[in-house]
Amino acid sequence: MNGRGHVRFEQIVKVHGNFKALKGVDFDIRPGEFFALLGPSGSGKSTTLRILAGLDAPTSGRVMIDGKDVTATDARDRDVAMVFQSYALYPHMTVFENIAFPLEMAKIPKAGIAASVQDAARKVKIEHLLDRKPGQLSGGQQQRCALARAIVRKAHLFLLDEPLSNLDAKLRLETRAELKKLQRSLGVTAVYVTHDQEEAMTLADRMAVFMAGEIEQIGTPAEVFARPNSLDVAAFIGSPPMNLIPARLAGGNVTIAGQSLPAARPDMGDRDVIVGIRPGAVRIVTAGIPAKVDLVEDLGDTAVLDLDCAGTRVRSRVSHDDLPAENASVFITARPQDIHLFDPDTRKRL
Amino acid sequence: MTAKRLRIAAALAISLIFLLAWMFPILWSFLNSLKTDKDVLAYPPKVLFTPTLDAYRDVLFGSASILPNLVSSFIISIGTTVITMLLAVPAAYALARLRFPGKRFAGFYVLATQMLPPVGIIIPYFLVLRGIGWIDTYQGIILIYLSFSLPFAIWLLVSYFEDIPFEMEEAAYLDGASRLRTLWRIIIPQVRGGISVTVVFVFLNAWNEFLFAVVLSGNTVRPVTVAMYNFISVEQTLWTKLAAVSVLAMLPVILLGIFAQKHIVKGLTVGAVKGGGRR
Repeated sequence: MNGRGHVRFEQIVKVHGNFKALKGVDFDIRPGEFFALLGPSGSGKSTTLRILAGLDAPTSGRVMIDGKDVTATDARDRDVAMVFQSYALYPHMTVFENIAFPLEMAKIPKAGIAASVQDAARKVKIEHLLDRKPGQLSGGQQQRCALARAIVRKAHLFLLDEPLSNLDAKLRLETRAELKKLQRSLGVTAVYVTHDQEEAMTLADRMAVFMAGEIEQIGTPAEVFARPNSLDVAAFIGSPPMNLIPARLAGGNVTIAGQSLPAARPDMGDRDVIVGIRPGAVRIVTAGIPAKVDLVEDLGDTAVLDLDCAGTRVRSRVSHDDLPAENASVFITARPQDIHLFDPDTRKRL
Repeated sequence: MTAKRLRIAAALAISLIFLLAWMFPILWSFLNSLKTDKDVLAYPPKVLFTPTLDAYRDVLFGSASILPNLVSSFIISIGTTVITMLLAVPAAYALARLRFPGKRFAGFYVLATQMLPPVGIIIPYFLVLRGIGWIDTYQGIILIYLSFSLPFAIWLLVSYFEDIPFEMEEAAYLDGASRLRTLWRIIIPQVRGGISVTVVFVFLNAWNEFLFAVVLSGNTVRPVTVAMYNFISVEQTLWTKLAAVSVLAMLPVILLGIFAQKHIVKGLTVGAVKGGGRR
């Protein structure tokens, strides 16, 4: 780890006409960290990345890189490398020339350029393709070429804008793992934009979850998964998503479909809540809340059940071994520690 | 014969008719340029005759040589093309990329200038040029040609620039390139095809122009299109010489067409299809 690549966003606001794309965003990214900006489309994550890159200027607020205020600094003077979703390779140049371009712009002598290009190409395993033009490469190879162009310059900061979204599923998983290894071996700070929560969960050291121009939650993937701050985060993270059921809390218990379930929250009195239970935490038991199995989605190792609890839909992820049949009647329950409570009005965690 | 083959044969026949109609004047000029004055006027027209290069010798090296006129045409056409491209490339890039107030209006204005009937503005142009003493000068004719070629070139180039994704430029900025370097190293190489097409069209338009040239030129600056006209007088038309000059004047056009054929065909379809789809 080289100790470079510290990022701080201070009260960043971005307004497009009447639309507030970012409503005051604050976060810190530590040197060497793999930081994901996660959120649905239009949530402001890409705008955040573009402001960090210097491609867009914030309406107000400060961007700091390594303690320096770079809010007014041009993109080309920020020493930031970026991989675009479309890769943005230069089609008229060979792979070698593409990778060499940032070095050439930095006025590095020719001999040094060749060695650095070879080195970067080797790291992403495309050293045999240096003479080709981007049009002659497969999608995966183009992606690697874009990566090589970004790492060749050894920038402070490595920005990735949905770099895997144009790859097919199998290649995406392979590249995901390699990307993480590459980032660790380089020791650079990486900021990664994605709408795919699984990508963020597996890659990121920490992540910021964006909703409607604001950061809803910052934390490690495990923290965000275990204790989502709000209903929106709870619904966004996890696949299949968390069950969110309107219910009544009384005496520390919640009532779902007429049946009481201990939530271990006696401190909160009587009130309306929304109960969140991860599908994996919904257990099939011999006695509990009665439910009818509407649909069984068999995934091979596990299965997802669509259950009907007196009109409330609940999804459950169960092991492949003890699958109930469709239309069977079962009983379900959840442990108190697996029950999340949210305020239906503020949508915040209780 | 199947229906499909019949259709192909019909299409071929129709194409052939059009081709012949277009080819006829060129063929006529070419044949007449090789005839003697007597052969030209023979009736019925002679298909078989003894070819001679007398007409070419006369128009190139005779007393009324058109060599100075060919030189004039080259100076005007190349001058117009070079200045047009120097101004049109940055202008088209700006129109395609930058956001500035009045952009839509500017785009419309560029196109609107193409809609004026040229005859209607010859007299004002003549008066303006006479006022500044630029009648019968290279700068005068080139200036007037620019007023047509520049909007046309900009309009043609904009669609090529618009086809280049924004991200490509942003990638170049992040790679440390300035705006000018990005234009030069990343953008322009990708619109080479469009630039070739534009160069060809601007050059051809300037080379073939007659109407403005005949009014605005004089004895010093006289392009070949105007000079050609001198072989037609009230008393007689010097058919063989006229034909020879026509062939000579067509030669650069044909050579340019063959040389740039690949770019022209490709460029026209790219501009049309992609541009049309985007609007």
